[in-house]
Amino acid sequence: MKFGIIGLGAHGITHANVLTRLGQTVIGVDANSEARAEFGETFDAKTYKNTASLYEQDIAGIIIATPNKFHEATATEALDAGFPTLIEKPLAHDLPSAERIVEVADQTGCPCLVSFSNKFQTACSVAKSYVESGYFGKITHIRARHVRRRGIPGRGTWYTSKDIAGGGALLDIGANLVNVLLYLTGWPTITEVVGNARSEFGKQDNYAYLDMYDDNGQAKMYDVEDSVTAFCKFGDGMTASIEVAWAANAQPEHKYVIQGTDAGAELRLSNDLSEKNESPLTNELSLLETRPDDIDHHVDAAVTVPDSDPLEREMRHFTTAATDEEHPTLNSVQQGLRVQRAIDTIYTASR
Amino acid sequence: MTTNTSNSGRIQAVQTTLAILEVLRDRRVAGVSEIARELTYAKSTVHHYLKSLEEAGYVERKDTQYALGLQALTLGGVARERERLFHLGREQVDQLAVETGEKVRLIVERDWRGITVYQAEGEQVSQTRTHVGSTELLHSTAAGKAFLAAIPRAETHEYISQTGLPAQTENTITETDELLTELDRIKDRGIALDDQEHYTDIRCVAVPIVIDDETVLGTISASAPLDRMSEERFRSTLPNKLQNIAGVVEINTTYSEWIATS
Repeated sequence: MKFGIIGLGAHGITHANVLTRLGQTVIGVDANSEARAEFGETFDAKTYKNTASLYEQDIAGIIIATPNKFHEATATEALDAGFPTLIEKPLAHDLPSAERIVEVADQTGCPCLVSFSNKFQTACSVAKSYVESGYFGKITHIRARHVRRRGIPGRGTWYTSKDIAGGGALLDIGANLVNVLLYLTGWPTITEVVGNARSEFGKQDNYAYLDMYDDNGQAKMYDVEDSVTAFCKFGDGMTASIEVAWAANAQPEHKYVIQGTDAGAELRLSNDLSEKNESPLTNELSLLETRPDDIDHHVDAAVTVPDSDPLEREMRHFTTAATDEEHPTLNSVQQGLRVQRAIDTIYTASR
Repeated sequence: MTTNTSNSGRIQAVQTTLAILEVLRDRRVAGVSEIARELTYAKSTVHHYLKSLEEAGYVERKDTQYALGLQALTLGGVARERERLFHLGREQVDQLAVETGEKVRLIVERDWRGITVYQAEGEQVSQTRTHVGSTELLHSTAAGKAFLAAIPRAETHEYISQTGLPAQTENTITETDELLTELDRIKDRGIALDDQEHYTDIRCVAVPIVIDDETVLGTISASAPLDRMSEERFRSTLPNKLQNIAGVVEINTTYSEWIATS
């Protein structure tokens, strides 16, 4: 099957790589001629300057990988044209724009998913099944932390522009983190937040780093936060501490500590799904219990999960939805909106 | 009916009309003899042209003095509407003017002059020497240097030979080598500074707006008097802000058809 990719930057290329690994073919659209040329060469694919040309092709679905600000215009157009659509996270650059996308998705009835890839790591799926079996009892607190030591993506490009991206670390890696957090805990609503957003590293002329996602050497824009710390209370009484950083003077970590009334867990996920730095991807789950017996004791159980490529799992999820015209709940556009709403609430409290 | 044409094939009457209008643009107000002297035309000729222009509303007369009429604005307004940078950059210029309190402009190059196509003034600005339609030389202004740095070097040399780099203040760069070094520096950093090179008490910062195919759409500039333009603001704060804005305008321009209308 053939899929159309709108936006041929780093995200578009990642999605195209996954699709071609799965035996699908791709065509692409970008207004930037360099991006078109690179994509065309890499995938031996046809590229177009305008989205209108894409809709005339025989394609099974569309993937939106444009800068965040353009998600709405391109996704609503694709949905209106009747195509199943996968939107790179975050759903949009701000909450009103995200709401308008959901409105169009509802009206058209086309399958519409948001790409939150960490959720498709097998350790995360297993953790969710333990939650659903009631293993943890009631979850009372989660410590969710995704900290990179120096990992600002595309520093100086649209990724770090408030106007185009809509936000910094919280809207980028934070979208995946909030998605995993809400997914594990059954989509509770935030009622209170104390938070702080900082911009300490990206603005430095002498920002030192070892590797950068989408480093195109055009450092120019930087007016977003590079870290956020927040404490959240939810309607069901649960609390969560959230820490997200593109850059921090700390060891890198992407980890969820789940504390329930009956048991707990530590879930460690990949710090960087672009696969440049991590092989194999971090994908670990351990379960924590304290059992009463003749001698009371702790049990720390390491769960062994199969290594399966989360990006491929996610893409299969989308291609199946596209071909069967299904509306899976996992990573639905409605879930994308809940993530966007939570992030908006945290931003409001943190700026 | 025959039309008088000069050797170059241009229509003489059009040339004369435009020359008179341009004198009125540069001088704001002028009498017949003043215009005749500047253009070395006969006074009677100038008088005839002014009378026709007055009837059409392009020139207005008060006693013996002439000035451009509002009909001229009807042409300028339409010309500006067609300029992409005006539409794609206006909102950002307004925002920055409010945020900084200073004067922020969109400047587009035509015929080796920077033309102000839009400007917004923050609350600090009490009077301004520029307005929409102001023209300035390139080598003495931040916006002009940003433009010169972004175009092919052969074209820069053409500008130098055509204008001769006249001094506007004692800080104006008037030597070719010095200008070329300055333009290299600007190209490296992506920021142009005018440290009292056009007006003695004004500092200005500008960045070019360059899109996909390396087309220079124009420049965005922010200026302030010396007493409000500290070294920090001049060399760091404003350049960073302008680069953020220029980047946003560039991306919005490249993806203009992808911008949601709602």
